[in-house]
Formats: sequence, structure tokens, C-alpha cells
Amino acid sequence: MATQLSLYGKTFASRLLVGTALYPSPAVMRASVEASAAEIITLSLRRQNPEQQQGKILWDYIRESGCQLLPNTAGCKTPREVIALAEMSREIFATDWLKLEVVGDDYNLQPDPYGLVEAARELIKRGFKVLPYCTDDLVVCRKLLDVGCEVLMPWGAPIGTGQGLLNRYNLQTLRERLPDIPLIVDAGIGAPSQAAEAMELGFDAVLLNTAIAKAQEPVLMARAFKLAVESGRCAFEAGLMTKRQTASPSTPTLDMPFWQQVAPTEP
Amino acid sequence: MGRLLAWRLSRQDLEITLFEAGSLAVPAGACWAAAGMISPLSELVHSEQKIYQLGLRSLALWEPWAAELEALVGRPVSFRRAGSIVVAHGRDRAELPMFVRELQSKLPSDSAADVRPLDRAQLQKLEPALESFETGIFLRDEGDIDNRRLLPVLLESLRQQRVTLREHTAVTCERNTIVTEDAQYHFDCVIDCRGLGAKDAINGLRGVRGEVLVVQTNEVQLQRPVRLLHPRYQLYAVPRSDGSTVIGATEIESEDLSPISVRSTMELSSALYSLHPAFAEARIVESRVNCRPATMDNLPTVHCEPGLVRLNGLYRHGYLLAPALAEQVEKIIAQQLSEVA
Repeated sequence: MATQLSLYGKTFASRLLVGTALYPSPAVMRASVEASAAEIITLSLRRQNPEQQQGKILWDYIRESGCQLLPNTAGCKTPREVIALAEMSREIFATDWLKLEVVGDDYNLQPDPYGLVEAARELIKRGFKVLPYCTDDLVVCRKLLDVGCEVLMPWGAPIGTGQGLLNRYNLQTLRERLPDIPLIVDAGIGAPSQAAEAMELGFDAVLLNTAIAKAQEPVLMARAFKLAVESGRCAFEAGLMTKRQTASPSTPTLDMPFWQQVAPTEP
Repeated sequence: MGRLLAWRLSRQDLEITLFEAGSLAVPAGACWAAAGMISPLSELVHSEQKIYQLGLRSLALWEPWAAELEALVGRPVSFRRAGSIVVAHGRDRAELPMFVRELQSKLPSDSAADVRPLDRAQLQKLEPALESFETGIFLRDEGDIDNRRLLPVLLESLRQQRVTLREHTAVTCERNTIVTEDAQYHFDCVIDCRGLGAKDAINGLRGVRGEVLVVQTNEVQLQRPVRLLHPRYQLYAVPRSDGSTVIGATEIESEDLSPISVRSTMELSSALYSLHPAFAEARIVESRVNCRPATMDNLPTVHCEPGLVRLNGLYRHGYLLAPALAEQVEKIIAQQLSEVA
């Protein structure tokens, strides 16, 4: 049995976090969340005119899943916008958990590192439990920890691209240099194998949306990701073997005289 | 939906009353804000087979129905069955093969020819205004109808058929009974097509906000609906016979009916501009906002019991589904009336 995920003092059996956007219908979204076994789900309210609570029917439908809600600040470009939206979502969803997004580039939705740090500092002062969506830059991650974030969510690749772990070196560096910080690979995961890869690298969880929501069979894909994340985590905890250059028989080849068992030449 | 159904039923020897919550000239529902696309193929990418099947049936029905209405009223409804074109701009070009792959995987094998990739020359020939695009896709079995012409023509047909019309009358619908603020009316059958007005009767009915711009220019004219693929938005431009172009539509999970946002205006207009730079000087003559009535599975719902039929959840598929659903309801009503008789 793999260990549980622990974030801001709460524990979760599932290490897969999923989004609630882009599904063919709310019903498919809910069935997919169920199939993914996710216990934390993100949702966006930037464009819904949240002050008027006009998206309430869908929010209630999402709430019925019983998952920990993680409202996000998708679409916000400045700390000021972020804070206004965060306060509104805390009131609407009665949770101080927040996926912090500050868009730095409209086209690939790359996070703005300066805006992130500034917004995170203020949100933490206001009592939010901030999960920042950030790039894989070690220094930015450190600054986010300095202002009080207890969890980091570096990207695998830009949102919606399905490119997988584009900069494995940076991600591995983060894992090695921040061994005690929960790290969640957020965004850019397109295939279950990429999610498993992130988990095998020792990341604590994976957050994704498009790869499930835009699959031809989202519910089936949600199950595929559930299995991949579980599999990757088990593999990490079990300890992966080190790669070797040549095959090494696990049983002695008794029928072959030792002088014929030529030692492999190192490349 | 209600108006189309009333016209269909008025062709039989029935006494019909149509209640409209808004004005008859400018109906309150999403039908007035829509762009009137009838696109079973492109909608199939994001929806279920049922929508495609109903859509194909509707496309087949619109042709004779439009002709019949035009002959009856003597005014055009501008039904066009010229297919549609799908393009993607520069950096989003990867969306095109993905769109084709998703569509082909859902289409029956004998319909594969309905999706035709176009090279630059073929695209230019079909749609000369799209000169900045290298490739595109032609979806043969698609059409559109000018809803701003159709709805007044339907209204006129109802007047000609002596249908009783009551506007500015919000109602609740019960078995054999329509209840208004100050009266009750009894009928052999009540058909509830209130859209979001039927929230009291349909569980989980929600509104999905849609925003649309209408622009006018003489400099560039498309020949048929054009879809612009984008990783996050579904955008289209529909040319109208009066020279205007309708561009839509946002899809926001909210029942907010406030005016169009600056962000949506920028998204829609930049999409249009990217189709052809001459659209930059087009004039924005109208912005439309309404909410599409949708169920949680985004599929239409037809509920029937003696003396009452409820039809709802047409979502973003009003003109795509209306004739096929009207045809189904006509059969249900005929059955119910034969039982009453």
C-alpha cells in the first residue's frame, strides 16, 4: 500500500487531482471525477460573474462530489485581481484552499513568477492555503516557500499542451533540492505514462484536466490516469532499479563454461 | 422551438394557443441570440451520437420546411446548405488534424467523405476570403438558417393559421393546464418549451451564457459558416444575406444575462480579424447575450405524460435539433389526441 498524500494538514488516499473544465457535459465531468478517484478538484469562476452567483447550479453539482474543492484564479493577471477573486471564492465555496494562478502570457498561460510571489505573500497573510501553479524554476519555487506556501505545483508543460515533462532536469532538481515539500506536477500532462513518469520521479501528486476532459472517452481516461498515478507512486516507494547497460541474467548460466561468459565491453 | 412546433401543429386541424414570456417581435429565449448554425458534423466532436443523428434529420427537414414557410408567407428565411469550413490559425494548426481525427473516430464509416481536407487552392476556390490560410477542412453536410428572418416568418405563418398568440405572458405548465399570473387555461395537451423558464419542472436545468457579435462590412464576405479552431474556444463566423456577419460564441457556465464583457468582445473580434484583416474596419452593429438551457448531460430532454409534453435542454443546438424534435413531438401529440378522442 502506498503512503497517503498530506497537504496543509489534511491527508488524501488519492494522488491525482483533476480539473472540472472542458468536459462534454457536467454529467460526464462528474462520472470522470468519480472514475479518477480524485479527492481534490479544481474549479474556475473568473468569467462566471461570481458576485452574482449565476453559476451556482453547476458549483452545487460539483460540490456534491464530496471532494476537497480547490478554486483557482485562472484568468487573473495581477495580484489585485487574484486577491479579489480569492476572497469571493472563499466566501462562495467556504474553503480557504486556493490554486493560485497568475497568468503571465495569454497565449500559453505561462505563470508570472513575480505576480505569483506577490499574490502568495498577501493571500497567506489573509489565511489562505495556497497551492501555486508555477514554472519549474528552483529560485521561484524557493521564493514561494519563503512567503509561506507549503505546497508547490510546478508545470510539466504549458496548460493544455499534453507535452508531458518537458524539462526533466529542472523537475528532478526541484525534487532533489526540496525533498520535504509536497510537489505536484500541474499542467501539461497528456498521457497516463507521463503521469506515471512524474510519480516515479518522486513527485507527490499530479494535477490535470485537458487530457481527461478532451479524451474521446473521458471516464475511461480518468480510470487510466488513476491507475497510472497509483502505479507510478507504488514504483517510487518500492524503489526503481538502476538502469544497466547490458542484460544481466538473474540465474547463473550453468551450462556455459566460464571462459565463454565474456565480460561485456563498456562503451 | 415553441414557435416551430406551433407552426407544425397548426398545419393539422387543431386549435392552438402560443404563450410567449417576452415579446413576439423579440422573443426572450436563446433562439433570438443564436447564429442559426445547423452543423451536425462539427458539433459531433464535442457531443454524443444522438446529437449527430438528430442533427442530420433536422438538416433534411429544414430544406422542405423552409421552402414551405417561404411559400406560405412570401418572405425568405435564408436556409443555406452550403457546408461549412474549418480553419486554424498559425500556431493552432495542430488543432486541424486533431479535429479530423476526433471527427472520423465518431463518424460512421460511410460518412467519412463528408469531411474533406482542403489544400490552399481548394480552400481559395470555396472561400476566397480565407486567403491567409494554407489548409482547411470542408464539412459537406452542414447548413445554417437566418433566425432573424425565420422567427418573424414563423410568427406570420401562425397568424395566417389563426393560432391564438399571447405575448408578455409568463406561464407555468401543468397537465392540460396553463397557469398565468391571473388566469388558468385548459387544453387537451400542454407543450412546455419554456427553456430556462421551466426550471420549476426540470431537475438540473441550467443556463450556459453565450455571447455573440454582429458586424457589418462591405469589404469582405464569407460564403458559408467558418469555424476557427482554438485550443480553448469554439468560435465561428456566419455570413448573413444582408451582408452582416455573426460571430460567436462564448460558452460560460453562468446564468448571467448582463451585457457582453470586454474580454469576450476582444476574443470574438480578434478571431474574426484573424479570418481576414479587412474585418478590422467592420462595424460592430449588435452584441447579443443569452443563456442556453441545458441539462446536466447536455442532451435534449423530452418528457411526456397524458396532457403534457415537456421539451427542453436544446443547449447550443437549438436550430440543429428543433425540426427533428418537433417531428417527434408531433407524433406524441397525434397519439395523445387520438387517445382523448
